[in-house]
Amino acid sequence: MNALLSAEGITKSFGATQVLSGIALSVAPGEPVGLFGPNGSGKTTLVNILSGLLLPDAGAVRFDGKEITRLPIDARYRLGIARTFQIPHPYPALSVREAVRVALDAGKRKEGEGTREDEEGPAEDLLARTGLFNQRFLPCARLSQGCLRRLEFARALACRPKLLILDEIFSALSAADEGDLTALLRAANRDDGTAFLLVSHNPPLLKSLCRRILVLDERRIVRERTT
Amino acid sequence: MRNAAAFRGGWPAAGIGLLLLFPLSSPDAFFLDVFTTGFLLAAFAASWDVVGGVSGQITLGHAFPFGVAAYACALLTSLAGWPLPLAVAAAVLLAAAVGAGIGALSAPLAGPFVALLTLALGEIAHEAAVGNTFFSGPGGYAWGGEGGIPVALPWRDASPFSSYYAALAFLCLASYGMLRFSRSGAGLILRAIAGSPITAQASGVPIARYKRLGFAVGSAFAGAAGAGFALHVGRATATDLSLELSFQAATFAAVGGRGTIVGPIVAALVLHVLFQGLSLPPSARVLLYALTLLVTLRFFPGGVVGTARDLASRPGGKEGARSPRRRGRNRSGEGTP
Amino acid sequence: MTSPLPQVLLDGLFAGGTYALMAAGMALILGVVKVINLSHGAFFTLGAYVAYALAERGIVSPIAAAPIAAVIAFAFGVFLAKSFVNPVRNHPFALPVGTLACALLFEQAAQMAWGPHPLSIEAGAPWIGPGGLVIRRWGVIAFLSSAALLGGLKWLLSARPGLPLRLIAEDEEIAGSLGMDVEAIRYLTFGGACAMAAAAGALLSPSGAVTPTMGRAPLLLSLVVVIVAGMDSVAVIFLLSIGLGIFGNACAWFLSPQWSYVALLAAVCLLLSTRPAGIVVPAGRRD
Repeated sequence: MNALLSAEGITKSFGATQVLSGIALSVAPGEPVGLFGPNGSGKTTLVNILSGLLLPDAGAVRFDGKEITRLPIDARYRLGIARTFQIPHPYPALSVREAVRVALDAGKRKEGEGTREDEEGPAEDLLARTGLFNQRFLPCARLSQGCLRRLEFARALACRPKLLILDEIFSALSAADEGDLTALLRAANRDDGTAFLLVSHNPPLLKSLCRRILVLDERRIVRERTT
Repeated sequence: MRNAAAFRGGWPAAGIGLLLLFPLSSPDAFFLDVFTTGFLLAAFAASWDVVGGVSGQITLGHAFPFGVAAYACALLTSLAGWPLPLAVAAAVLLAAAVGAGIGALSAPLAGPFVALLTLALGEIAHEAAVGNTFFSGPGGYAWGGEGGIPVALPWRDASPFSSYYAALAFLCLASYGMLRFSRSGAGLILRAIAGSPITAQASGVPIARYKRLGFAVGSAFAGAAGAGFALHVGRATATDLSLELSFQAATFAAVGGRGTIVGPIVAALVLHVLFQGLSLPPSARVLLYALTLLVTLRFFPGGVVGTARDLASRPGGKEGARSPRRRGRNRSGEGTP
Repeated sequence: MTSPLPQVLLDGLFAGGTYALMAAGMALILGVVKVINLSHGAFFTLGAYVAYALAERGIVSPIAAAPIAAVIAFAFGVFLAKSFVNPVRNHPFALPVGTLACALLFEQAAQMAWGPHPLSIEAGAPWIGPGGLVIRRWGVIAFLSSAALLGGLKWLLSARPGLPLRLIAEDEEIAGSLGMDVEAIRYLTFGGACAMAAAAGALLSPSGAVTPTMGRAPLLLSLVVVIVAGMDSVAVIFLLSIGLGIFGNACAWFLSPQWSYVALLAAVCLLLSTRPAGIVVPAGRRD
């Protein structure tokens, strides 16, 4: 079976310190994959390279059979790779609904056609799914941590991604928020066939959500195990 | 909801109505001229807001497109002998192109460096205007330098009334256009980039392209105001490109509320008419602008609108809303994780 | 008439060496307060007008003018930092626009007080060196005092008394947790840096015309120096300023005075667009 996302020989150094060395990984279409590793093992760097925020020093990233190593993050989003941030950077002055609309407008495969003000469908739908419907007119700066994560999720789902890259999206959340978001992730995976790469510190959570877990340590992937 | 919106729309209508009636009170020509200039400056301030407020790209060289259009008008009519409407259209297009160029150069830069770059580009344009002389064909006059270049106008002496109404009509049209733009899909995306470039980019927004767009649209309107100014004054001078003019636009926007388009227009009209109506010397006026701006920035560093909105919603605000709000206000504008 | 080149080089050397004082001040502000101070040029102008005002009253001496200008600028600088820069330093809009407002405010005030016309200070007869080389006394004094002050700054930064500055430049939170009054150190540094700019202005005032906008070119020169040299090495700042001083003087001599300003502007544009990430990000931190 062809891999949806594959990376080979990813190497990255910051100054004199090497953070990643010869990483290879692949995610099949619709496959739920976990990425586990101790603090400072280079998870976020790897995620940044896979999502297009950083260029690797060496190695290649492929998506859907296309080489995307040098593609910036916005172009990858439009291809169908969406990522969330561990620390959300919300638009302070925009409402929640507007924040989702930005992603819907920009994430269209064809660019240039904006949604009109009265076109309510997809934004409202996403907001309802992520449990943000009642907060949709609130400025993003007013949201709680939990709601900000939900918004990150909604933003990522707006492009109907083939692959979600989730950086610590469940850390430090209330039980209710965590439950809702895991259910959402499961539903996206099951109903839409969305593959995901879930970065987390939390082994039980990874085991319950993922079929395969990659363990990153000492700059390389040291283990891979199936649950 | 709908009623409230309609009511809010009533204030601008009332303001325009008053401005339409004002000349009927037969004021002297000086005041009509102050208002005419005020309308053009207000459109210029709003165009700054398209770039600096809506798109969040702090430009300190917004006089560049304004002056470029003014000079293009003057040179094309006086030297090249183009008909006026064609020259104005070319001037506006040129201003938009200049804006797109500035946007392309500044796209990779963050916050204060955009300010630096635009300031430097504007100053280069100013120096170029001061330093160049042109020779008119038939008469052989030397034009340029501080004295500027005359615009060949098809009319002799425009009556102050017609100038007043033309400028007012221009202001209404231009501000309608800019409001439409800032509320369009592209405007929403630009406001997102202003709020958090990294999240916008992770939402699929090609931010460099949109920054160029923001600069180009804002500069096109600035160019239209500049062309209008050249027509009103009858010549393009180096002050049309000065740092003081760019700075004035930023002042109006900061005082009126960045990102609102209407706020800068109101601030520009009020401050300009006030300071100009007092017949102060130009340097005293710039001094007063600087003081007004400093006081505004000191007490509303995050923007007049944001602070006002905070105050308005505080009593009814949801609990727990304050701490995330703080985070948002202290954002640095650049976030490379 | 012999070749003007040695003269241009010499004057450029004197001017550049003095500009270094101002550039070092700008670097200090960027390092410690972490802001880009667009009003730095105004303090240069202030220094020049102080020297002019003293000269009008018969006191024509850089040794007198520079310290007086420095004290006045320090007071203004501390006031500006305490009342404006410190409170708004986290706001990416308020800071550049506000410091520019201060600069314009001062330019206009100077214009109202002294008029827009260029003023000049009679600096006394220069020495005529070998080959008709004109050696201006103020130039020599300016260069030497600037070099001495920069030497002092270099020592300060490497010695114990400069430790708070280094720490704050490195990490404000640690500095604060060690019980340092970060806020006070910030405004004192700002004032000190402004004093350096004013001293440079006073020292250089006889070499050119004193005008309200004379501070703009040195401001850009300082920006170029800070962008290229960073804030680490006083020696690099010194050498680079001399290079730019000579370059600017050559532009002014061989083309026309305004070309040195345009060249500096172009340098700023070029530097910013070729190395957008090459400069330290001021105010506000990344995560």
